[in-house]
Amino acid sequence: MSAFLARAPAAPRDYAACSGCSLCVLVCPMWRGSHDPRLTPEGLAKGLQSGATIAQLAGAIEACFLCGACDPVCPERIDLSGMIMDLRLRSANSRPPNSPQPSVMVELSARLQMAAGAAPAAGVVSNSVPVLLPGPDLRADAALLARVQALLGLAVFDDDGADIALALELGVEIPQQRLHGFLDSLRGHTIVAADGLLLRQLRRWLPGLQRMGLGPALSTRAAVRSNLVPSDLYVIEPRAFHGDYERMVGYYDRLQRETGCSLSLDLQRIAIPATSSGLPQKLGLAAGDDVQAKWILKGHKPARIVVESLADRAAFARVCHVPVVHLAELGEDPQMMQKFRHAFG
Amino acid sequence: MKIPPVEPGTVGPCPVAPDALQGIKRQQTNPARWNGSGWQDFVAALHTSGVELAAGAAACGVYVTDAGGTAYGMPHGVVIARSAGQISLLLKAAQVHRVPVTVRGGGLTTEGESVAFGGVLLDMTGMSRVLHIDAAALTVRTEGGIYWHSLAEELRRENLDYLSAPLNLTSSVGGTLGVGGIDVNSARLGCSADQALSLQVVTPTGEIVECSDSENPELFRRVILGYGQFGIITEATLRVRPYTPLRMHYYYYSSLRTAIEDLQMLDRNDASDYSGILTIMDCAVNLLVAFDSDEREAAFNADWKSRLRGYGEFGFALHMAGHYALRPWKFREALYLLQRKREVFPEFRRAEYMRDGKMHDRTVVYSRAVWKHWGSRQMVIPDLATSADKFIEAVERGNAVCRKYFAHYTLYCVGIKLRLDHGPHYEMSCVPPDAEGWAYGCEFEPMIEGGVYSRDHFQAFKNAIYDIGVDLGASYYRFGGMMKGYIRRVFGDALVDRHLAMKRRADPAMILNRDVIF
Repeated sequence: MSAFLARAPAAPRDYAACSGCSLCVLVCPMWRGSHDPRLTPEGLAKGLQSGATIAQLAGAIEACFLCGACDPVCPERIDLSGMIMDLRLRSANSRPPNSPQPSVMVELSARLQMAAGAAPAAGVVSNSVPVLLPGPDLRADAALLARVQALLGLAVFDDDGADIALALELGVEIPQQRLHGFLDSLRGHTIVAADGLLLRQLRRWLPGLQRMGLGPALSTRAAVRSNLVPSDLYVIEPRAFHGDYERMVGYYDRLQRETGCSLSLDLQRIAIPATSSGLPQKLGLAAGDDVQAKWILKGHKPARIVVESLADRAAFARVCHVPVVHLAELGEDPQMMQKFRHAFG
Repeated sequence: MKIPPVEPGTVGPCPVAPDALQGIKRQQTNPARWNGSGWQDFVAALHTSGVELAAGAAACGVYVTDAGGTAYGMPHGVVIARSAGQISLLLKAAQVHRVPVTVRGGGLTTEGESVAFGGVLLDMTGMSRVLHIDAAALTVRTEGGIYWHSLAEELRRENLDYLSAPLNLTSSVGGTLGVGGIDVNSARLGCSADQALSLQVVTPTGEIVECSDSENPELFRRVILGYGQFGIITEATLRVRPYTPLRMHYYYYSSLRTAIEDLQMLDRNDASDYSGILTIMDCAVNLLVAFDSDEREAAFNADWKSRLRGYGEFGFALHMAGHYALRPWKFREALYLLQRKREVFPEFRRAEYMRDGKMHDRTVVYSRAVWKHWGSRQMVIPDLATSADKFIEAVERGNAVCRKYFAHYTLYCVGIKLRLDHGPHYEMSCVPPDAEGWAYGCEFEPMIEGGVYSRDHFQAFKNAIYDIGVDLGASYYRFGGMMKGYIRRVFGDALVDRHLAMKRRADPAMILNRDVIF
């Protein structure tokens, strides 16, 4: 009887299971910006059900932010962002051989091939030590990276999979050798990753891996958490949040209860992305807009905005005059400042 | 039996009369696909007017069916609504070229009413902006295609909420005002359609008209609860209220009759802010009672709580354990109830929606649970709307029909307070003609649960429910589309012919939402 009552969670389903409930539309930033149902996960799923080709769906495939907001709200448990990443890959692979490719994608393919041929970065950090995968934005800000390291007490993993994360986003084929080399190097470690999309995929590729997003990793630190106050607006990095929704929604709910800060969640408890991150923006073909950041701020009058993602810091700095700080910048307890003087200027 | 030919855009004789086709499954069908005559000229006219029309599987596939999932049809092309002016141009061209225009909001119809069988599908969700919130006057002006949930998101930034709306996030405002809209506070605040103060409407001939109880009142009466026959709602001014979280109370019954008697007692005495019944078949009947304020809850606790005959959760569990211990042959039913309890109950108590024992954002909680645990690719939800005194009989008879057709099902019952001054709005609508003070609605929803049923089976089930309504002199929420054969039986020839004459005057080419009602 117990087996009958305790149904195992079913595996994610594909677009054929879409019943057209439109719950994904409500949380889709593309829909908020365009009010065009074709540019939504439901539009894609229904288009595919009706026999639309990838070329006919290209606009929606490219426009998607891959924020993952649609995944946890889908009552049919369709892996919608996985579907869109797969469509991006198929879209890129179905280009005529001699058609011009954006230079970013060409360079990325070459980097991936080179990394596939190189020896894995083993031995840089000994096995079982928790490591940080900072991603390119955090690497580019040495002072902030040092603060993050100081707060978390983690070593930076040399190979942080930034090329793999970008390939997932752009729809570039990842050579199996490169992927397996990267995953093998992570086995046995506890991972803190700044890139939400990479974290989401690591959850699928290495289900037993101990992993955490940068936001939760930092906000569990007393030095950070104790500096969150009710007048703060805390902006969650949406990809990591949605990629592990059931756990994260509980985590942030407790964070809010304890600190009183506001969260960048909508009424469905879905994290609103602050920045436009469709393919055109990633390829540098279009500028991002501030629609999302403005929507998050609407009706809020925070004294300070605390962000988990560096990209979000820039977006809010453009649209408001209140201080915008990265979560790591909250952690300024005297002991740490003494120990890592260089990081705190 | 000879069935005479029916002119397109009219209501023909009912093919499902109780004395027809005795012993044979009675069927309804989707309308024939529009033949496309004049389509190219129409497309050229739209192009000249600057109205963008999309075609092809990627554009049309989104609209291939509605929430019911039993009616399938493809439009020739899709227009995403952007402004009243654009819709006006579309309808003017459609009148000239006699092209049917099917209007869709959230697509939550179940009888194919928002499915286009050829012609143009006009997607109103393209008009989803909130135009103005007047926090002092407690009103909002919004575009008609907006989802109620999107409206709630905007209102919450001002700490406001709508009054009543369907417990479904993806219903659209315009679509709901056109058919009714019930909530668990409708017994106190009325149906959603009664919340509208004024509307901007594009008539079937393309005029853009503002209407309300005082301005163009006849159009207002016909558009509210008018099933989209007399105009497209492009903007609406609605009453709103300060946002409040709810304190929920649940009472459990094993008798439908007792639960309904208690529900009606609460409604008559204005004893709660929210009330409704949700069941697992007829074995576990849940009366939901909720409050906006501690004062209202305290008054309920003092005056009415002791009069309710339902159990608390623990008491009901004991009661059911005793019940099934004496009826071991109902082992499977008991197991099903246990399984549903394990799956569904936690959804209503998710920590992120609860603060200090109060539920926040009830529509999100209920709607997500509804889609997760009741939704599927096919949803068949025949309903009955009756006066208060006929309601128990209607529900008990409908329940017997459910038991006959499906292993598992759910009933959802709620009261709807009627506005004395809105009598003309209710004509030929879901509000039963004999209802005074309150109408009561019950939805009968089989649990499909991955099962495969033929459309004939669904249709026979719906017909059996609707026959009860005809017999009782009731009405229905979903009498259009595939169920439109019932319209003359329910409302009578005189009333239907009068509305048909009005429709012909308003829509000479009968292009707007053809085959939904007429």
